[in-house]
Amino acid sequence: MRLISSLVVSLTTAALLVGCSDISSPKENMVELELFSNKAENIATYESMIERFEEQHPNIRINLYAPPDAETLLRTRLVKNDMPDMLAIAGNALYRELVSVDMLVNYEGEPMLDPIQPAYLQTISDLEGSEKKGIHGVPFAANANTMIYNKTKLKELGEDVPKTWDEFIQLLQKAKAVGEIPIYFTFQDSWTTMPAWNSLAGNLQPKQFADKKTNKEVTFQGTHQEVAEKLLQLKDYGHDRMFGIGYNDGNREFSQGKGVFYSQGNWAIPELLKLNPELDLGVFAMPVTNDPTKNKLVSGIDVLFATLKESKHPEEAKQFISFMMEEQQQQQYMEEQSAFSVRKDVISDDPIMEGIQDNFTEGKISSFPDHFYPAGMGAQNMIQEFLYQGNISKLLKDLDREWDQIQLRY
Amino acid sequence: MTIPAVILFFIFHTFPLLQGIFYSFTNWRGYGDWDFIGLSNYVNVFKDMRALNAYGFTFQFAIVSTVLVNIFSLLIALGLNANIKFQKTLRAVYFLPNILSILIVGFIFQFIFTIFLPQFSDALGIQALATNILGSPDYAWVGVVIMAVWQATAFNTILYLAGLQTVPEDVYEAAAIDGASPWKRFWKITFPLIAPFFTINMVLALKTFLMVFDHIIALTGGGPGYATESISVLIYRGGFEGGQFGYQSANAVIYFIVIVALSIIQLRFLQKREVQQ
Repeated sequence: MRLISSLVVSLTTAALLVGCSDISSPKENMVELELFSNKAENIATYESMIERFEEQHPNIRINLYAPPDAETLLRTRLVKNDMPDMLAIAGNALYRELVSVDMLVNYEGEPMLDPIQPAYLQTISDLEGSEKKGIHGVPFAANANTMIYNKTKLKELGEDVPKTWDEFIQLLQKAKAVGEIPIYFTFQDSWTTMPAWNSLAGNLQPKQFADKKTNKEVTFQGTHQEVAEKLLQLKDYGHDRMFGIGYNDGNREFSQGKGVFYSQGNWAIPELLKLNPELDLGVFAMPVTNDPTKNKLVSGIDVLFATLKESKHPEEAKQFISFMMEEQQQQQYMEEQSAFSVRKDVISDDPIMEGIQDNFTEGKISSFPDHFYPAGMGAQNMIQEFLYQGNISKLLKDLDREWDQIQLRY
Repeated sequence: MTIPAVILFFIFHTFPLLQGIFYSFTNWRGYGDWDFIGLSNYVNVFKDMRALNAYGFTFQFAIVSTVLVNIFSLLIALGLNANIKFQKTLRAVYFLPNILSILIVGFIFQFIFTIFLPQFSDALGIQALATNILGSPDYAWVGVVIMAVWQATAFNTILYLAGLQTVPEDVYEAAAIDGASPWKRFWKITFPLIAPFFTINMVLALKTFLMVFDHIIALTGGGPGYATESISVLIYRGGFEGGQFGYQSANAVIYFIVIVALSIIQLRFLQKREVQQ
């Protein structure tokens, strides 16, 4: 007995001595934060930034957690009521839902929002809907819904990047005439129909469409006729097997030189270059109208940071988010991830992205329409079916009906 | 021993079922606040075009697959039960598809439909197979049926084989002496004697195919459009990805009742025509 007690005493003293001499801040003051991320591509980048952050803030530890199929996992954790401290997710329907059930901390008026392009803050407040006030997610990185093109092929055609819809269609016709596949579509995966749909709807639909639609002020049938028509027109410039080929196979084929244009966002570029490093690529925002000043690039928030209200350490979480918004971190992230910064002063100098540089500097940006569609509506499946059958009135009717029905399901 | 068993059964089986029924009367999203909303989830399921579409696809798929699986597995079982060489090896080979994971088989079939068949038919100059059938809303279900039948035949073959073992050898000898043809022997002796196995195979196959999930996730993901969205896939999609936990619980309860009712009707009907031994 005496042996044990003396052992305990000596061990405690030793621990205390170590605690005083070795580490400046004792273990009890260590704050641990869990950061939940929905991207697998940027884990290494995050880790190097977190390391730097922890050096500057020795009492905070950030545990990064980036599982596969993260959105579904996050929803199951919601059910279990076991949420992380911070989220790094996209500005989409899931974010919209989390805000609507009032689970996130409001960052409105914080200085870290100051350097952000107003277009993205607008996107965030649009996402939150008309009922909620505030900025509950801090935009971090943006993506772009582009038309990717094969520079070599466009040069062979002797053409420049089109500025208007008519020019674009003429170019597609010319490509078809010389036996090229004008646009390499990959419609077996339903989501791959969305880049084209989003470019069209993002430019042509009325402002605040989602809110008005929910309030029954507008309908798809009344406002999306032109969107559907133009999408159908683009389909004529696809290829025979577009419904039998999915995203991965499409990346492979396009990187091997099939097709002049590829309707995909900037996220496909690293993949294409991995498959064929020689490929000479460019991007542009699809010109949707015949007035070049009206054609905007559809760009969304690829990553935003948010803190859960339930988190026990909101102050430390805020410190981390402010750190991530600093110029150095922004520069590093954009370089390593070929993403776009949301800061006004950080501009990408990647030559592939040249074609959309102006959209970012001039703020000619509009947000992804489908991020505002109700979760679980499955618009992409309806659009995929529409492209196969070509029935415009059925598509618009279906979209209207599903949207209205989904309001009854909560 | 019975009481712990009853408790375990209740906790892991009955309680979740009751919970599902309970949530079907709420507007719960899977998280956050919820209210009781009475029967309105049930009413809305019947108005839901996507659900009706899913029911249509699932029944079409399940009936066609059940019939095909039973035909193929009975034929294979008869073959494997006959006096052939390598009988045991062949039985093992024919059982293999049942061991493979459906997801893996799905990805293999996806490759066959997307890349192998079109290239093959291009080389032969057959236009009919040149496009991927999984990309067509009209024919994608055929692709799912082909894979499901290929995979499920193994298990039902085993059941039929077990049934064929129960038929006594001497009835065949007697029939042979009377000069009955092989077809007559099958139709008048074998088939009536294995009728209970036919019943159980039909019921099990239909039940499994009505709950089809993995096949679809691996092959088409429910597409193109909603052409191959089965009810299980719809419940999963809507419930987890769409935050419609309460609503899809109602859908699941309805579906549970439908499957139970169908199984009972099928059992009643098929048992009537079994030979009473």
